[in-house]
Amino acid sequence: MSDSTDQRSVNGLTRRQLLLAGAVGVAMGSGLLLVPKRLFRVPQHADTFVAKVADYQLDIADAITRGIRELGVRPEELRGKRILLKPNLVETASGAPHINTHPLVLRGAIEAFLRLGASAVMVAEGPGHRRDTLAVYEESGLADVLTEDRIPFHDLNYITGYDLPNAGRQSRLKTLTFPGLFQEVDWIVSVAKMKTHHWAGVTLSMKNLFGVMPGIYYGWPKNVLHHAGIENSILDINATLKPHFAIVDGIVGMEGDGPIMGDPKKVGVLVMGRNLAAVDATCCRIMGVDPYQVSYLERADNWLGPISERAIEQRGDLIASVRTNFNLIEAIPAHRGLRLT
Amino acid sequence: MSPSSLRKSVEAVLSRRLLSDGGMAGRLGGPLHIDSTAWGVLALRASGGAHEVIEQLCTVLVREQHGDGRVCMNRANPASFWPTPLAVLAWQNSIASQAAQSRAVHFLLSTTGVHFPKQPTDPSAHDPNLKGWPWIEDTHSWVEPTALCVMALRVVGHGQHDRVREALRMILDRQLPHGGWNVGNTLVFGRELYPMPESTGAALVGLAGEVDQKQVARSIDYLQGEVDRLRTPISLGWSLLGLSAWDRWPANGLALVERCLANQGRYGGYDTSSLCLVALGALAGDSNAYSPLIQRRHSRPTSVAAAS
Repeated sequence: MSDSTDQRSVNGLTRRQLLLAGAVGVAMGSGLLLVPKRLFRVPQHADTFVAKVADYQLDIADAITRGIRELGVRPEELRGKRILLKPNLVETASGAPHINTHPLVLRGAIEAFLRLGASAVMVAEGPGHRRDTLAVYEESGLADVLTEDRIPFHDLNYITGYDLPNAGRQSRLKTLTFPGLFQEVDWIVSVAKMKTHHWAGVTLSMKNLFGVMPGIYYGWPKNVLHHAGIENSILDINATLKPHFAIVDGIVGMEGDGPIMGDPKKVGVLVMGRNLAAVDATCCRIMGVDPYQVSYLERADNWLGPISERAIEQRGDLIASVRTNFNLIEAIPAHRGLRLT
Repeated sequence: MSPSSLRKSVEAVLSRRLLSDGGMAGRLGGPLHIDSTAWGVLALRASGGAHEVIEQLCTVLVREQHGDGRVCMNRANPASFWPTPLAVLAWQNSIASQAAQSRAVHFLLSTTGVHFPKQPTDPSAHDPNLKGWPWIEDTHSWVEPTALCVMALRVVGHGQHDRVREALRMILDRQLPHGGWNVGNTLVFGRELYPMPESTGAALVGLAGEVDQKQVARSIDYLQGEVDRLRTPISLGWSLLGLSAWDRWPANGLALVERCLANQGRYGGYDTSSLCLVALGALAGDSNAYSPLIQRRHSRPTSVAAAS
């Protein structure tokens, strides 16, 4: 996360923001309660990078390397660092590889981070729907790739955790328990899949982090987070963990009844950035989804990162050149009203 | 691999994971894991392991038990009580652990998940009001912890308890229309979700001896169709146990186990619980041998109505 996202104090507002809110509140009188809190936040800025990658056989490592460089990541930020890549491995089904982050995107990310000086790269995941993490690892095709590349894989569901105070304070959870492995790495990278989601609207780099919460403490599915509120939990995890980078696999995404039963959607893009809220907002626009209508992104705006198009400097390919409207299902409440007009 | 060599190798493998201050390491060289300790007892019992070692492991489980009877992944996280039914199973036949076992049984019988009446607009098809057991405190009930609690309570003579009978109905309610189980969701927004071997195996062990075979025929078919391709210990272990509970343990079961164990090089070594589970699945191939989990009385008439 950028420094600007660390200004947060009590209940998401800095002193300056509180003063601003107070002044505006006086001006607006009783109408204050009706105005979204995000309007009183100090505007943030972030960069995202969009790379056209038509299919998984192309040079993904090159696209990611280019993205990392164009996003201004300095060599010393990666040199000698240990990088943990967190894919989106949920479950597997015959004929449905679009459920999970494609293994070749992970191979590309591994190669890119090593090329840029990282001392070690590992992949780690704690699937929410499968008790048998190794089965998802095997059946998704990721085991073949990582075995060949001699890259370690860790099952986050079964790692003893450490507690951090819940910095987001959106849910009732006082602390969040993260895998102990996270204390041994320098960068955490969300390598997500571009999908619609029947509870959250969309699942991208922020929602992907549900999978870091160990199943031994959060269950299968990660039901503790559901009971605490999916959107609250997305915000809490991101605010507390402060992941360093995101890569979203939109080469083939999922539309319709995601995150499991949806249809493949070929978009041909990778989206990257240091700020996960900005990356997800950019993905939304590519999917034909209004990020301000995705509740957790709207709440994250100018707190965890910017989601306004004007506040996000777009690098690489233009959104308009890759926009492909994802099918939304009217019968799914979380999809209603999402379409970007 | 013969059954006798399998028994010896189970003992040898687990002996390397015994910790000097008691308990079983979650991984070779790793720290104590409560679930691994309980699974270790079950695997050692099934393989004829040394009585003193088993009692030592049981003592560790007693030491880690909370005052209200729950047994958790670690003492600092009392919400994660899902190892409790494993401890109940592990303590069976341990005279020194009887009081602890009684406390754990009381805890299970007085504990349930979060349940609520089904609403007409609910996008999930299952009946959320049927009580089972959750993985974690204050969450919904799911298939695997419920099946484990059924196994545990049945072993200690509570098979006819109302909670167990309702839990059996809950497991049946979560069965997928085309067969099999997953973590516990059937249809969401009208779409049937995918089954999973490990959940299916656990559910079939829980239901064995309790329901008519016709009620689970599609699930047995599903698992029989899957088992040959399974390469990982949790899926294979539960699948072998589930099939064994219904007298369908595959003829090539030991070969599947050997292939699974050979894959350890690829995955970097299995955790202790997974190894114990696949060992129990392998040993379940001998239908005359003791199994701490399986009740083989499945030909009697059904006593559990299928959920509508």
